[in-house]
Amino acid sequence: MAELGHYAQILAWFLAGCGILAGAIAGRSGNEAWLMTARNATLLVGLTCTVALVALGYLFYVSDFSIKYVWQFSNRAMESNYKVSAIWGGMDGSMLLWCTFLALAAAVVAYLVRQYPQRLAGWALSILNVATFFFLTIVVFYTNPFRYLGQPFIPPDGNGLNPLLQNIYMQIHPPSLYVGFTLFTVPYAFCLGALLADETSNEWIRLTRRWTLIGWGFLTAGIMLGGHWAYLELGWGGFWAWDPVENASFMPWLTATAFLHSVMVQERKNMLKMWNVWLIVLTYALTIFGTFLTRSGVVQSVHAFAETDVGEVFLQYLALVVGAAIFITWKKRNLLKAERSIESFFSRESAFLLNNLVFLSICFATLWGVIFPILSEAVTGTKQTVSIPFFNAVNVPLFIALLLLMGIGPMIAWKKATLSNLKRVFLMPTIASLVVTVILLWAGVREVYPLFAYVVSFFALMTIMVEYHKGVKTMQAKDQSYGVGKATSELIKKHRSRYGGYLIHVGVVVCAISITASMAHKIEKEVSLAQGESVPVGRFNFKLDKVSGDRNENYEALITEMSVFNSDTGALVAAMHPEKRFYLAKQETTTEVALRMGPREDIYIALAGWDDNQGKATYKIFINPLQVWLWVGGLIMILGTGVVMIPDKKKLGV
Amino acid sequence: MNSKFITLLFAAVVIAGLMVFQATKSSSAKVLEVSDLLGHADDPALKRIRVGGRVVDLPIEYLTEPVIKLTFRISKPGVTEAPTEANTVPVVYEGLKPDMFAAGRDVIIDGKFEGGVLHASTLLTQCPSKYEPPQGPGGAVSTEKTTDYPKY
Repeated sequence: MAELGHYAQILAWFLAGCGILAGAIAGRSGNEAWLMTARNATLLVGLTCTVALVALGYLFYVSDFSIKYVWQFSNRAMESNYKVSAIWGGMDGSMLLWCTFLALAAAVVAYLVRQYPQRLAGWALSILNVATFFFLTIVVFYTNPFRYLGQPFIPPDGNGLNPLLQNIYMQIHPPSLYVGFTLFTVPYAFCLGALLADETSNEWIRLTRRWTLIGWGFLTAGIMLGGHWAYLELGWGGFWAWDPVENASFMPWLTATAFLHSVMVQERKNMLKMWNVWLIVLTYALTIFGTFLTRSGVVQSVHAFAETDVGEVFLQYLALVVGAAIFITWKKRNLLKAERSIESFFSRESAFLLNNLVFLSICFATLWGVIFPILSEAVTGTKQTVSIPFFNAVNVPLFIALLLLMGIGPMIAWKKATLSNLKRVFLMPTIASLVVTVILLWAGVREVYPLFAYVVSFFALMTIMVEYHKGVKTMQAKDQSYGVGKATSELIKKHRSRYGGYLIHVGVVVCAISITASMAHKIEKEVSLAQGESVPVGRFNFKLDKVSGDRNENYEALITEMSVFNSDTGALVAAMHPEKRFYLAKQETTTEVALRMGPREDIYIALAGWDDNQGKATYKIFINPLQVWLWVGGLIMILGTGVVMIPDKKKLGV
Repeated sequence: MNSKFITLLFAAVVIAGLMVFQATKSSSAKVLEVSDLLGHADDPALKRIRVGGRVVDLPIEYLTEPVIKLTFRISKPGVTEAPTEANTVPVVYEGLKPDMFAAGRDVIIDGKFEGGVLHASTLLTQCPSKYEPPQGPGGAVSTEKTTDYPKY
């Protein structure tokens, strides 16, 4: 099986090479036969990569510890679903997974190739195969997951997967991120392909937007799942720490989001062409750069991946990605001339441009924070670093500005807003927001940032509500029989991408309010309790009832039973069981957080330790207000992406 | 390109640049090694630092009353000589002991150095299980020796 996987990889590597050449010839000549060759090669790369991945999955499933990678990341005691997800427990399998996703994305493009202009399609396939070829080079020559352990006998058991990774969210979070990352390759290929093919129509922009949106949806889901995993597993009560690895996934998300907005300006006004091309290039380059950062060991991270010499190869590929883009956009700059210019600061164009600039500022600040240790050492000789306070100091005000723009951008008129337009759209939301400001001040929210964040979120929500209300009224005016529900569904059917976009914005508002609440009003307390003792935290009373032990073949556990009461009424709110586990195979301790989610707040208890001498358990207790709404907001964003993506019946010719 | 576009772009670059500059100035920490701290008692330049070190095999004290407090010493990773008070730095961390924390583990500490003691505001333990030995371009199905082979 290992041989099958190994040779499938090598075959894929050759086929991708063929795809590069055939695609380029098809791109230059527009020759149909060469295009079909490129198409078939690309489809076969997808197939052979899948074979390799399935082979690796099989080796994990049957626990073949003669394979080094399997031995490193699996053991017999693990459940079989974790055995399979251990494929991406380490670097080697992650690279193969990434590679397979990329090959499959390219295969989908190849499958649909007849829908695209011929020369563009040729170049696009060629570029996609360059990307696959690069990742296969890494997989085959640097991180081959099919290497044998190279011991005279097969060890009876493996090392086992890090217990922190034995979690459902860790099973879907990395694949989701990788799908997002790899899908950003397709816009890059289309975009440069269109330039190389001298494509003057705006057709490729539509294609690019669609692929970027799918990638964006997966990346959003991946980031959210990662945050959720951190929240459940790591026991520090938070979900985001501006760690380099998190930032690596966040930066391309920012530029992709910027692109999804500014591309509307191009579709509508034929402006910002060069700008959009560079957002696409930047997005793709940042996915590669992020991988370079996290896999090369140049930055310190708690994720602490291996220090491998893969970093250098990634850097070379990054240079190729950016260098090719610079060369091609310079050669074809005539194709990218804007046909119009911005006429007024008070217009949707400039609101969207501002939104782009803020997104890019956040991206730049984040990048700065990540590479500051390297920069400061190179420039001053002493290494310096920045951490969470830096990222919050810069990015919090920028995000508040974004929320404000989110309220203004989609509603303000194109070209030049008149006073009556401004009044019609924004008067109500502004008045309502002022009222909310007063209420919040009265309720005791006095700090500047939280106050602004709440008010601006509310303002954005109101503008969407006003727009939606107007839309429903228009629908009902057309057909008197429509109820609100029917009118809403007709409205969404008719303006799918607009209302899908609004839905995503509603999700963002929900997330923003939740994040603000958790940053501003979180309660965090460390307590020590003997059995029978209780302690008040926030509006709850925590009582330790019982401490007991447990063990199975996988781990030993220290289980504590707690009752949580409402301090005012004395009613029992929840029975919770914070645990500490000691995993036998890895000789590692983990904290099993006890969590009670609720619409108003989460109760989050991490057991920190047990002191035999004093007979006391130590806990970290968090009361996280509105936390659950972050995940709800994330789901709404994904749902909104789905609404935008539903294929249009008219366009399908049904 | 037109003037309104340039104006917005310019304004954004200036504002973002200033914000980044200001935040860097007020929150950046020097990255130091244990040896940089040895022999210092009080130095205003050591008010905001990040130190990477290895927890040494000297007594580790963990109190949960009256406040939760972890006291230990760190040395420069890779130093072979036996740890003494002279070649290690004392660390005080008022917080919970991380799961992975133990003698021999590498830690990253953010904090300040005052009165010969490193006061940690955050303490990160690097997870040893995610460490993989460096791998080179060594052909496909290689037979390289693994050093981290399990004991029987």
